[in-house]
Amino acid sequence: MSLPRASPRHLERRLDIDALAISCADRLESYLDEEGKSLIPVPLPLLRVEHEAEGVVTLWVDVPRSMAISYTPGQYYMCWNPYDAEGGMKRRDYNSEKPYSVGDIKVDIDRAKMGFTVKDLGRQSGELTRMARGDWLALRGPFGTTFPTPTAGDRLLLISGGIGSTPMHMAAKDARNRLGEEVEIIAVMGFKNAGEAHYIERMEQVCDQLFITTDDGSLGTEGFPTAVLPELLATDPTAISSNSTESGTTRLYTCGPEPMMKVVLQMAADAGIESYAAMERYLPCSMAVCGLCMVGDRLTCVEGPVMDGEWLLEQDDFGAAHAH
Amino acid sequence: MVDLSVSAPGLDMSNPLMLASGIQGANAASLHRVAASGAGGLVSKSIGPLPREMYPGPVCVEAATNVVLNAMGLPNPGVDVFAEMIESETFSKPLLVSIFGGNSEEFAAVAGRLVDAGAKSLELNLSCPHAKPGSRALIIGQQPELIEEVVGAVADEVNVPLYAKLTPNTTTITDEADAAVSAGASGLSLINTVSALEVDPYVGRPIIGNLMCGLSGPAVRPIAQRKLAEVSLAMRRDEIKTVPILGMGGITSGLDVARFIMLGATAVQVGTALVAKDVAAFEEILTELESMMTETGYANLAQMRGAALDAMEGIN
Repeated sequence: MSLPRASPRHLERRLDIDALAISCADRLESYLDEEGKSLIPVPLPLLRVEHEAEGVVTLWVDVPRSMAISYTPGQYYMCWNPYDAEGGMKRRDYNSEKPYSVGDIKVDIDRAKMGFTVKDLGRQSGELTRMARGDWLALRGPFGTTFPTPTAGDRLLLISGGIGSTPMHMAAKDARNRLGEEVEIIAVMGFKNAGEAHYIERMEQVCDQLFITTDDGSLGTEGFPTAVLPELLATDPTAISSNSTESGTTRLYTCGPEPMMKVVLQMAADAGIESYAAMERYLPCSMAVCGLCMVGDRLTCVEGPVMDGEWLLEQDDFGAAHAH
Repeated sequence: MVDLSVSAPGLDMSNPLMLASGIQGANAASLHRVAASGAGGLVSKSIGPLPREMYPGPVCVEAATNVVLNAMGLPNPGVDVFAEMIESETFSKPLLVSIFGGNSEEFAAVAGRLVDAGAKSLELNLSCPHAKPGSRALIIGQQPELIEEVVGAVADEVNVPLYAKLTPNTTTITDEADAAVSAGASGLSLINTVSALEVDPYVGRPIIGNLMCGLSGPAVRPIAQRKLAEVSLAMRRDEIKTVPILGMGGITSGLDVARFIMLGATAVQVGTALVAKDVAAFEEILTELESMMTETGYANLAQMRGAALDAMEGIN
């Protein structure tokens, strides 16, 4: 198969990537349905690839302002690089479309940017981490359920493992933007080691307290996020709450490997705390068509990715490690 | 009170709505999920001799309103896994098991294994337009002699009702319908997706991972209705042996179901409507069908069946 290298980065004539990004964002806006969703993959040129950590990058694209403002934490986009990093598409199975939740959003007066943070976990995600400014990233969505929106006086416990950091960051940022100091946000981020640790600065900006754990102890507390969680759950809420005056609801949100989330959700259930998990499963279609993303009797693509913690704990097929 | 029940070979159903093949239906959990909805019957994802993985994505997109494109690549767990599943599971609605193979031997072997495991009826997917990636070669469903060979081989192998699922991508669908029925099909399913292609002009390549794809959704409904009418009329004229037809293609409302029944369908299948509404689509469609029948004075589906063909009888 011989196809042209149609990524702007690979075209011989030099294109104005910034101008192209704006017109592609406008084009994406024209495809949004009444729910603010695009059901067709719309290619956007990458504006910037931000290095986060070893094998972890954030891909920044221009998006319609309306899309950035209406995004709610937990929702995901189907992300697709129509060409690989060399501008070819011979190895077609490297270029599949995969679900990613948004890691960061920047909204200006007339423009907005979305950042998708990708960790090299295999063929397709590895290919995404090798992309550069000017390469195409097509977005389809947003799809899926969202975390409950906190109200004044609420407390959020955010527990992530690895790249599960991204929806936790958006949950924290969204809560802080909505409620300012009226919400208390405590996060635990677990990583394998210091080398892959990322999003720490971002989380520090929006959380009241941040705990880091690493499997090997090279950063923060040695162990899994579950090593520090019992202490947080056992603490009298009024004691850990320094800036919240009203007594609200404490909720735990988690995203990470299923074995970790299972333990985290069980700890929350034992402590009598409402919990929600952002699930990741093999999710090829996003449209309730293929039926391959089921957990229990629910489809992760449309009844997830955010699912109720107590319900998840009742499912036999929840809690095992899944390949990416 | 309107009676919506339907009886066709191997399919005694409380209503005429079946899940179309290819939508969910690849495993027990998703079939139970659909069985718990308003659907009257289930059709599995097409099961082949060996497990197959999904094509690279995008595998399914809505390219414009009501224009849904897909190329899944017949992903399925393979006949061994699926046969074990139906041996151990009981579904609350009749299950029509869809099968495919590369040739008549494979079709017969898959059919035999599934019927041994308890499959009560089979739908033969002769017509997936995207089974061969990028291929321009004809598929089985476009060649009446191959349809006869495949349907005949399966009919020799098993003794359960067989529904041959036809492709609309032919010049004269009555030829393919005749071949299937002559070779022993107890019913027909029509239509499969319409061959299609969409390109993104910014990236300069097709927007479906597999490049070539099939079109479904409301955009194909008039095409399906035309094909259904052509086959039904040929049956009325005794050019083809009369067998029950399962009609499908872009059905999203109760009125659409009535249209297909009035063009001769015994029951219908619903697929793409689930993209927007998931399994809730079944209840919604049923409610609308029921109230339309009440308003227009139909007590059951038999009274409606073929009504719209009368006006077309003289057409060749």
